[in-house]
Amino acid sequence: MDNILEVYHVSKHFSSKTALDDVSLNVPRGSVYGLLGPNGAGKTTLIRIINYITAPDSGKIIFDGHELTADDVASIGYLPEERGLYKKMKVGEQAIFFARLKGMTKRDAEQSLHQWFEKFEISDWWNKKVEELSKGMAQKVQFIVTVLHRPKLLIFDEPFSGFDPINANLLKNEIMELHKQGSTVIFSTHNMASVDALCDEITLINDSRNILSGNVAEIRRREWGNRYSIQFSGDAGEVMRRSAPLTDRFDLLPAETDGLHTAVIVPAAGGAIRPVIQEINSCSDILSIQPVMPTMEDIFISTVNTYNAKHNINVEQ
Amino acid sequence: MKSKIGIIISREYLQRVRKKSFIITTIATPILLLVLMCLPALLMNVNMTSVKEVGVIDPTGKIAEKLVDSPIANFTRLDINPDSLSNEAGFDAFLILPANVIERPVGISLYSRDASTMLLESYITQSLDDIIEQERLEAMDMGNLKSVLKEIEVNSSLHTFKLNDSNEVVNSSSTISYIIGIIMSAVLYFFLLMYGQMVMTSIVEEKSNRVLELIVTSVKPMQIMMGKIIGVGCVAVTQLAVWAFIIIGASMTLLPMIISPEIAGEVTAMGNGTLDFSQASMDIEGLQALSIAGDTGYLIGIFGWLLLFLVGGFLLYAAIYAAIGSAVENVQDGSQLQAFILIPLIIGFFASTTVAANPESGLAFWLSVIPFTAPMVMMTRIPFDIPVGEIILSLAILYASFIVMVWLAGKIYRVGIFMYGKKPTIKDLIRWARY
Repeated sequence: MDNILEVYHVSKHFSSKTALDDVSLNVPRGSVYGLLGPNGAGKTTLIRIINYITAPDSGKIIFDGHELTADDVASIGYLPEERGLYKKMKVGEQAIFFARLKGMTKRDAEQSLHQWFEKFEISDWWNKKVEELSKGMAQKVQFIVTVLHRPKLLIFDEPFSGFDPINANLLKNEIMELHKQGSTVIFSTHNMASVDALCDEITLINDSRNILSGNVAEIRRREWGNRYSIQFSGDAGEVMRRSAPLTDRFDLLPAETDGLHTAVIVPAAGGAIRPVIQEINSCSDILSIQPVMPTMEDIFISTVNTYNAKHNINVEQ
Repeated sequence: MKSKIGIIISREYLQRVRKKSFIITTIATPILLLVLMCLPALLMNVNMTSVKEVGVIDPTGKIAEKLVDSPIANFTRLDINPDSLSNEAGFDAFLILPANVIERPVGISLYSRDASTMLLESYITQSLDDIIEQERLEAMDMGNLKSVLKEIEVNSSLHTFKLNDSNEVVNSSSTISYIIGIIMSAVLYFFLLMYGQMVMTSIVEEKSNRVLELIVTSVKPMQIMMGKIIGVGCVAVTQLAVWAFIIIGASMTLLPMIISPEIAGEVTAMGNGTLDFSQASMDIEGLQALSIAGDTGYLIGIFGWLLLFLVGGFLLYAAIYAAIGSAVENVQDGSQLQAFILIPLIIGFFASTTVAANPESGLAFWLSVIPFTAPMVMMTRIPFDIPVGEIILSLAILYASFIVMVWLAGKIYRVGIFMYGKKPTIKDLIRWARY
């Protein structure tokens, strides 16, 4: 598979603590990639290394087929979690400043900025000072600055924190639009729910290490645990008794309406779901049956907890 | 990558230079200074237009005619009774002397229609003192006492010359050099302090409002820091250059217009060593000051050195300020840490007075090779025509130490800008420099 970014055995130590410990991962070109992990796990350090802000102690980064160089930052757009603008500077002037730092000429920057400003309907902000803008307005400007130079790789660190739902949605749509146009997108977040539906691939970083990496669909299938949710109407006790030999688990959820029951079942080890269905079908009416896929958030929490328990890590906070 | 530093520099520079406050202080300060210098002369001219007519009632008959008319007052003797003064028209004031004023100069009264001026009062008392003194001398009748006194009157003046290395005579005045030296030192002190703090404040702001996080994605920390230092440094140089331009311009155009051709001739004569000082219309210090103010080459030289020491000193101090700025999260924390910058800066400034009194002492030499005090101390010494070799040595050390300091500051900066939530100590800064 063609990867836009490959990270090989990257480690980074600060004086008293290890920020990254032998982390490897591959970001497929054109994917939406989730870089997940609790606060302080090492995500931001890894992103800083990818952005050539800090150098790793060991390991290497391959970007777009070659070893990462300082010039590659022109092909990367990074929106940091903590971000700000010069308060006293005018919006347009400031946006041009950032665009030029990314290697755009003044004319290109101006042209392309005007397009974006029109798209976001903020053209009349051009000559306003940043201190006159609200926080959400400033974030729109920051977003434009991040994507203006049409980078191949976009990295968003906690992109939706601080946005109201409407603007967060607008932002999400813009990001997905850029993705459709060919950019690879990396979301770095501790809030899995915010990007659950968006990511194709993820890496979960905990305690400076990559503890889970791969395709979201595959991971969910793997973490699925053969669980099904079945909805039926009939005698719940009878159903439970008859399917007991065939299942490892039969959890009857509290009934919602008369005679309609929902149960989460796990077929007996090695067993298939079909005999269970047949058994239940013989004494009740099945309304629906579907696999219970864990959310990425569930996987995130359980993986981190399992890891922490194994390594005797006490999570503060 | 090189052009990116240029983008940072131009932003730092333009944001500051375009500010109204910068434009005003840059242009107004030297003009204000020049106005202040010319003000006494201008005011004198204004006063001359209002000569006070003073009527004098002098029962002794000895004093009134000796009061000399001047641009301040015209004196007219009146032979009338003081009680009928109110009938006399055409006088601004009346001076009434008692009959025994020579023996006992009290009870002298001045009646004035307008508020009396200090200038008039002091002129009258001065004149009366002189006249009464003369009268008393004559009353003693000691024959030629007057000429004896004239003979022994002392008014010495020292004209100092300095022999330069090739034994040529160079005009020099310690007093003028002293004043120029202290002014230069003060200018440097304020520039280093003001612009150094500007670098720190700007870094702290950039860090605390997190703009830095965006910039650092495209520019290396070291380049950001250097861009900032150079950008602010250019602002300082611009300001100084404008001042130099205005002052030198005034010396070339304005000065010849203000001073009379007579004095200008005397200044030239002094330069040639042909001036007879006993005949000069001004004292030597005044002539020397005028001579320096009109010596464009000398002024350019002084500003040239000032510029070199400003740039070197600024780069050195700005690097330290940058390191501190990167480490803290608000300006208050920075102010506490900057104490150890202020100490050498203040020592340098205050040592200037001592150094100016003895510019070739051992203390003066050592303080000018220590880079932290060198800018102020050396600028104090330069007006005294010290050996150029020493100036170059001092500059060389200054610039070498700025390179070391920038390198160290860069290391601290690189770590400091990502440190949040903890107020660092000097120990932390040293540790970061070792990373």
